[in-house]
Amino acid sequence: MNFLWDNIFRKSSERALNAQLRDNLLFRDLSEAELRFLERCVHIRHYHSSEPIFRQGEVGVGMYIIAKGRVEIFVSDPNSPNDESRDIFVTQLLPSDFFGELSLVEENGRRTATAIAREETTLIGFFKPDLVEILARRPAMGTRIALRLAEVLGRRLKETTEKVSELRRALKDLRAPPARDHGAQP
Amino acid sequence: MNGGPTPHDISRDLLRRERRWRLIGFLAILISSATLIIAIKGLLVSTILGFVIAYLFSPIVDWLERRGLGRGLATVLPFALGGIVVGVGISIVLPMIVDQATNLVERLPHYQQELTSLVSSIEHKYRAYWKVGQINPSKELAEWIAIKTADVSAALPDAVSHSFTVLMLAPFFAFFMLQDGNAISRSLLSFVPNPLFEIALNLRHQINDQLGGFIRARFLEAAIVGLVVWIGLFSLDFPYTTILSIFAAATNLIPYLGPIIGAIPAILITLVSPEFAISEPGTNAATMLILVTSVYLIAQLIDVVFIIPLVVAKIVDLHPVTVVVMIIVGAEVGGILGMVVSIPVASAVKLTFNALYSHLTHFRD
Repeated sequence: MNFLWDNIFRKSSERALNAQLRDNLLFRDLSEAELRFLERCVHIRHYHSSEPIFRQGEVGVGMYIIAKGRVEIFVSDPNSPNDESRDIFVTQLLPSDFFGELSLVEENGRRTATAIAREETTLIGFFKPDLVEILARRPAMGTRIALRLAEVLGRRLKETTEKVSELRRALKDLRAPPARDHGAQP
Repeated sequence: MNGGPTPHDISRDLLRRERRWRLIGFLAILISSATLIIAIKGLLVSTILGFVIAYLFSPIVDWLERRGLGRGLATVLPFALGGIVVGVGISIVLPMIVDQATNLVERLPHYQQELTSLVSSIEHKYRAYWKVGQINPSKELAEWIAIKTADVSAALPDAVSHSFTVLMLAPFFAFFMLQDGNAISRSLLSFVPNPLFEIALNLRHQINDQLGGFIRARFLEAAIVGLVVWIGLFSLDFPYTTILSIFAAATNLIPYLGPIIGAIPAILITLVSPEFAISEPGTNAATMLILVTSVYLIAQLIDVVFIIPLVVAKIVDLHPVTVVVMIIVGAEVGGILGMVVSIPVASAVKLTFNALYSHLTHFRD
């Protein structure tokens, strides 16, 4: 499951908001003035260690970029017999990583995993209403963000497809009957 | 769970307590602001009007911003242009209104007398059917009109100065709502506890969107109704055309009852005016009554057939019974303004409840 949540666009350390945004793949094409406009659209949220950011199954409206701290992602296994083993660890995300971007394009989309802060964490929240506002007020800027978002989602989909293919191949190998030893035949 | 607690983990109790305090802080800011607005005389009306102006101007401001203007200039321009339009409009329309109002005030005692004698003649004609002999409608009507006229005269100077303050403050509020509204609401949202943040943000967006659409649609509807009434009455060479069409447009903002209230003055004038007096021989009065009523009916027909289905119905989905109950509650609480704002407020409340219900049922299942 890591391929879905691992950040493939990772950078490191905590920096100023402007720099954090500029380094994010979604906002890479924006000019300095547009980044300043974006600073006024995003939301800074603080989480304590072990505080949930969102839970699997909740309706999500946007994505988070880690400005400081550490976030762990879990998925819930409904078939698990007991509560303790129900949450399966998927990955750990660090500063500059981002997650939850699928909610920016889904209508009442549900979170597919649970995100929990693992230390004092600061997140930059960018939500669907913010994207809608940017598209209404600065369409060119909104389009650039939307194109980058499509790229990110495309990459995630490609990785997922590759992983699913790998798993199918592995499953096929497991199901295949063992090869017969023709020499042993009478 | 794979990731066990760290030495920095905050206890659940502490976290719950912090969230509770944040929520209390957020609600305290909301409630104290609302109390302040309600408590200070005129501030509520100015704030509501400010919101209305801001919602009416926001698509223009956004459009100008899309053309490359900064938010400040994009906000200043519509206000400057609006000021010029209002100024020119007042300089053209105000003399007409003053002229018609002066004429109306001069003739009011006459209309009053005519109306009383009309009721008296009806009363006399149907006296035989009156079961209770003690009731005297014409006398009661004359007394009621006298009391109401005295009330209006007494309240007029205060109302004029009050309206002036309200009209001066509303655009001022609207300007800052458009200029800094987002920053203010973002600051307010920062107080919302983490588990409620996304739902609060989404709710603000939905209410803003729905309320803005509703207000713009209602004003467009009122303007079209007013224009149709003006054209109709003007073509009939009816007196007080401007005042009556403005009144019809304004009362049209009240759902269901508004159009009826809006038509009453013109129908009453038709009934009591000597030019079209129904007691006069001939069918002139009756024809005029039919024509005047038709003007209002055509305006309503255009409203119901074209404007409501296209722009209003899609925005607010309230049951007609809810609408009527809300109008009555609005009238009790805030008079005419209460009737006008009751439906947008009811829509916002319904939206909030729906979102909270959805959060409690779907978000957490």
